[in-house]
Amino acid sequence: MDRVPLQRKVLSENDRIAALLREEFSRRGILCLNFISSPGSGKTSLLERTLAALPPSSRAAVLTGDIQTDNDARRLSRYGFPVQQITTAGACHLDARMIERALGAWNLDSIGLLLIENVGNLVCPASYDLGEDAKVVVLSVTEGEDKPLKYPATFFKSRAVIFNKIDLLPYVPLDLELAKQNARSVHPGIEIIETSCTTGHGLDVWRSWLARAISGKSPRSVGSVPAAR
Amino acid sequence: MHEMGIASSILDAVRKEAALRPGMRVAKVGVRLGELGGVDTESLRFCFDALVLETELEPLELAIETSSDDALDLTYLELEEYGPRTTATQSTERE
Repeated sequence: MDRVPLQRKVLSENDRIAALLREEFSRRGILCLNFISSPGSGKTSLLERTLAALPPSSRAAVLTGDIQTDNDARRLSRYGFPVQQITTAGACHLDARMIERALGAWNLDSIGLLLIENVGNLVCPASYDLGEDAKVVVLSVTEGEDKPLKYPATFFKSRAVIFNKIDLLPYVPLDLELAKQNARSVHPGIEIIETSCTTGHGLDVWRSWLARAISGKSPRSVGSVPAAR
Repeated sequence: MHEMGIASSILDAVRKEAALRPGMRVAKVGVRLGELGGVDTESLRFCFDALVLETELEPLELAIETSSDDALDLTYLELEEYGPRTTATQSTERE
């Protein structure tokens, strides 16, 4: 019997498309964020509050994934930015090909910030690179403080964790310090933000984080590297 | 939850490699799963076996090694030459 070594990712086809997307985003200076959370943590509300405060010059666009319904797209389309719903018809995550296909409907010249709301799920989205600059995990305080330990992949791969629904903290048993400690034990460098989309608490901190991320990203063609293609 | 998709991607890779090697069949495929990869070993085995069942790939063994990182890698294939099957349970045709 012959053994043939294969050193490659199982999801190499997804990763290939994700690399093309990342290259495209980088060339155009588009900041792409991939939001991951369990269902009901408030991703859509957070995106609504984010879009409501963004100026048109941010050229934001949103792709929102769900297994069924376009409810989220309808909620998010009230803010004057282009929104597309991706219904996965059963798949528990978005993959790079879905993003590539959805972006085909848009002129990327008119996009500066691409916000991707993944399917509500703390497990599977972590395996699928979408070409994003960063993953952001949203965890509401109504969930357990051990979520980072139970779903380490998502927290390990996320640049920031947003503790949402922070206004409910007095009414729920969550130990916020322990939750933060758990997130840091999985990913020591993870950035931590606390928000409430109901009271607006911490949204300024989140918006500054976003503004910093946007300013850290500029089109590569502006520099000395000639534009590809 | 997404183990079916992962299993399907593994089999796509196996088919692609097999197509490059006429006269050989893949007997075993090795993968490395990291603890931080978010893939459940038992669920992956279940999905893998379900997808291999009654296809030209059968019998195909899945060998899983684990690591402490977020790996989700194909590591090797074991190939054998096509020939008279010796196993009595062999039922599917393969040409």
